[in-house]
Amino acid sequence: MKPIVEAKNLNAYFENFHAVKNVSLAVPEKSLVALIGPSGCGKSTFLRCLNRMHEEIPKARVEGEVLLGGSSIYDRKLDPVAVRRSIGMVFQKPNPFPGMSIFENVVVGLKLTGSRDRMDQVAEEALKGAALWEEVKDKLKKPGTSLSGGQQQRLCIARALAMKPPVLLMDEPTSALDPISTAKVEELMISLKKSVTLIVVTHNMQQAARVSDRTAFFLMGELVEYDESSTLFTVPKDAKTEQYITGRFG
Amino acid sequence: MNPADFQISIARRLKNRFVILLLIALACVALIPLIHVLHYVYAQGLPHWNLNFFTELPKPVGESGGGLGNAVVGSFFLVLVAAIVGVPVGILVGIFLSEYSRSALAGWVRTSIELLSGVPSIVLGIFAYSAIVVPIGHFSMLAGSFALAVILLPVVAKTTEEVLKLIPSHIREAGLALGIPRWKVTLRIVLIAARSGITTGVALALARVAGETAPLLFTALSSQHWPRSLLEPAASLPVQIYSFALAPFEEWNHLAWAAASVLVSLTLVTNLIMKWATRSRGESR
Repeated sequence: MKPIVEAKNLNAYFENFHAVKNVSLAVPEKSLVALIGPSGCGKSTFLRCLNRMHEEIPKARVEGEVLLGGSSIYDRKLDPVAVRRSIGMVFQKPNPFPGMSIFENVVVGLKLTGSRDRMDQVAEEALKGAALWEEVKDKLKKPGTSLSGGQQQRLCIARALAMKPPVLLMDEPTSALDPISTAKVEELMISLKKSVTLIVVTHNMQQAARVSDRTAFFLMGELVEYDESSTLFTVPKDAKTEQYITGRFG
Repeated sequence: MNPADFQISIARRLKNRFVILLLIALACVALIPLIHVLHYVYAQGLPHWNLNFFTELPKPVGESGGGLGNAVVGSFFLVLVAAIVGVPVGILVGIFLSEYSRSALAGWVRTSIELLSGVPSIVLGIFAYSAIVVPIGHFSMLAGSFALAVILLPVVAKTTEEVLKLIPSHIREAGLALGIPRWKVTLRIVLIAARSGITTGVALALARVAGETAPLLFTALSSQHWPRSLLEPAASLPVQIYSFALAPFEEWNHLAWAAASVLVSLTLVTNLIMKWATRSRGESR
């Protein structure tokens, strides 16, 4: 399968701290890649390099290359703001925009980037895509913050899907959710990868094993091992990967 | 462990009781001035509330009746014009302080705003006098509004900054990650999220400047007529209270008390409405 996202010799820094060290990794189209590793291993920073969010932090910088569909997203001629429209992101904490209704939350990206056509239809599709439509179709005018935590997270997924990005990044999307909401979001991830490429940071190895096609194990800013999840979780090649997945550290 | 170890000694309990009672007593002491002021102002002012107060001009000395309609209207327009100038500028300064707080300029602006809010209002009145009254050549409502706007600006800027800083940074990140430019994230997402807090701050600031007297003495001054133009002197409630309360005519003293109670009601009602509005918002979350 051809890769849709490809990082080449990627390095990321916070001022003097070298957070991601020379990582190269290719993500096949319409698959789900899980990024695992102990806290502070650089997996979230790596994820944030893939949609140019890392550089929003003062004194943070990126070196190396990220290709999306074969062309560089760090091209000097590109506006990082425009790059982010083709790579969606879902955060650890559900963060619907306060003061906006459910409907407004879903279409806000379209509205503020200038494509106001067929918003009703796009909102319905996005909410259906996020498996939230049935629960909210009668209360689209209610505040987004009035939903439960799990529903809020699916609303945030709908908000990202409304932009129709080919790639969706998720930064520990279930770590603030209860087990039932977590199961719903996991189901959603599996159905989403038919149409979108998903790259998911997770602390939860069981989750990575359940939902991902491929898994990347990060340690101290380095990519230790990257393989089919079925291989990585059963016959890891690296001793450190084996120690981590068997729970001996991290 | 022996169960006796958990028992609190009687002395300890008495001490606890005593301190709680002391705190309640002190809280009541703090309330006395407020209750006393409200009681006194309303006892003196309420009997003189009637429709004429709001619709008529003051009558010449010796005639009974009359009202302070011109001062009510004058205060309204003085504060309205001050708000039109001071509130948008204050909000924009507040946005700058909160969203670009790391720039060196923001540090200077913040210090200036804090100094400005510490300048006594009478000094700002003299400033408005020399900046507007002297060049034009006479007192005007415009000069009064300008002075009030300068008082309003730092209050609105500080409130806006503080309310915006309460909006978590991951809300801004979520906006940026959708590919929305930063200025639109600030104006169309962060500001919307903070709108009720900013509205509250602005309303309280407006109620406060409505009671300012000193800066109006050298700017809008006073007038016996209905306000007709921004470039003419205008009556206002605080200045009318100042001059009528000291006048040797009982009729005017009554009007001053009525005006005082109207002004206090304005502040009180604004405060209560804003308390109620912010609480109901908190519950719905």
